[in-house]
Amino acid sequence: MNFLPYLVVVGALIAIAAASRLRDPLPKYLLPLLVAVIFVCLWQVAADAARYELKDADGQFVRWVEVFPTPRSTVLGMVQPVKDGTLLRYAISSVYRVAAGFGLAAVIGIPLGLWAGWYTRGFEALNPLIQALRPISPIAWIPLAVLWFGVKDAAAIFLIALASFFPIVTGSMTAVRTIPMVYVRSAQNFGLKGFELFRRVVFPACLPQIITSLRMALGIAWMVIVAAEMIAVDSGLGYLIMDARNANYYDRVVGAMISIGLIGVALDLMMRRLERFDEVRWGFSKV
Amino acid sequence: MAETNPKAPAAPARVPHQARTAKSKVEVRGVTKLFQRKSDTLEVLRGIDLSVESGEFLCLLGPSGCGKSTLLSIIGGFEQPTSGSVAIDGVEVQRPDPRRIFVFQEYGIFPWASVWDNVGLGLRERPKEEQAHIIRRYVDLVGLTGFEKAYPAEISGGMKQRVALARALAVSPDIIFMDEPLGALDSLTRLQMRGELLRIWQQEQPTILFVTHDVDEALQLGERIVVMSPRPGRIAEIVPVDLDHPRDLGTAAYGRLKNRLYELLGVGHAV
Repeated sequence: MNFLPYLVVVGALIAIAAASRLRDPLPKYLLPLLVAVIFVCLWQVAADAARYELKDADGQFVRWVEVFPTPRSTVLGMVQPVKDGTLLRYAISSVYRVAAGFGLAAVIGIPLGLWAGWYTRGFEALNPLIQALRPISPIAWIPLAVLWFGVKDAAAIFLIALASFFPIVTGSMTAVRTIPMVYVRSAQNFGLKGFELFRRVVFPACLPQIITSLRMALGIAWMVIVAAEMIAVDSGLGYLIMDARNANYYDRVVGAMISIGLIGVALDLMMRRLERFDEVRWGFSKV
Repeated sequence: MAETNPKAPAAPARVPHQARTAKSKVEVRGVTKLFQRKSDTLEVLRGIDLSVESGEFLCLLGPSGCGKSTLLSIIGGFEQPTSGSVAIDGVEVQRPDPRRIFVFQEYGIFPWASVWDNVGLGLRERPKEEQAHIIRRYVDLVGLTGFEKAYPAEISGGMKQRVALARALAVSPDIIFMDEPLGALDSLTRLQMRGELLRIWQQEQPTILFVTHDVDEALQLGERIVVMSPRPGRIAEIVPVDLDHPRDLGTAAYGRLKNRLYELLGVGHAV
């Protein structure tokens, strides 16, 4: 029995308790770091508890079987994909597909949503269809995507575009429909109309909500890419998981999962940076 | 549309409204407004007749729900009367017009634009230098010099309303409609803004139609006070306020007018 993880957990909990009593501002990463340490320790404990002894016909111990890779074996399992560049290459393919599909969805979804939100008739015409297509999981489209595009980038990009399109179009549409009347009235009072009204008032008034919908869409896209790559293509982090599973490298499965989580956080932080521009900051905080 | 700018370069001494001989600026004739609701019809305004003189500061006073904001919206061209008509300079009002600017209680200034860009909203078609000149002038007039680059979220409510006022004044409107513009401000800021508003009105000479439910506010600002009664909204009486600015709130004349207004509003002043 290994007591080290328990000791570390207790230590980390004490550190958290002590830190939360301090009045001074804490370093921003201290608490998240301690929580991560606890998480890894609990992982270690759970993985230890789940492994069992493999014995031969005579009851002789052969080796330990891990059904849940330990943190240590995960790190070791990732050494090779990191060294030979597979991990980086796959991560780049995944990010590329998400960027392409997400970009496509934004380019189509934002104008369409703004248009349908501004013209009541457009909303009445389009919204039911959009709302009916929206609950269909992008994963359900995988067979068709493969049929249409083959096991290629295009299939994955199509699925990502589909997954991001609905939050973006719905978000942009709602944004236009909820613009405070006082802005539109003021603009009309000052003689703004047509494209100028759109450029100076409608679009900037909607921008914070559009950014929020983009953020949501990117989150969904990043989740869907893994599923899409498991079936629709033969590279990427989703493929890495599938490939490792088929070869019985479960440490690599977990390693790929962690990479996906970390890249997801990085993508979200990038999106959050958009919220800080002067033109949209008003939509996210009081000051 | 032939229109002469009533603004003389040097501000002349103000003429009491009774003595002004010019044709009235705003003519409201028999305006009625009905709102169709699910099962019944709500009569918001009934038979409103009103003339406003050029350069006048007119207050519309009444309890909430008396239709004073609706009347203002109709005069401003944002809403159409069910019957009756509104004419400004003899031309029937059909839609909002950049020569007549609305200032809202919720400010209506754009949070995505700096103070500078907000004030310049109505000056889009002027040459850059002229824009800068005008913006600087009105930012200064409302006392916001130094805040040109600030965004609305970074300034106080009173300052936001100053931005809205500067934005309106920058287009040299001949009428400014104000719908409880000081209603969202704290009471001290409100008092201070009343003074500022009077100073600006005296300097710039626009016609101001000012909606309020505050008796003191109407008495401090208006040359005439249109008292409205609720459901359906009608004009109960038009009360002239022949007191010079700055108005001394302690005088007997002021007290009598105040009592009169409370009577018209159907509330006893002694609680």
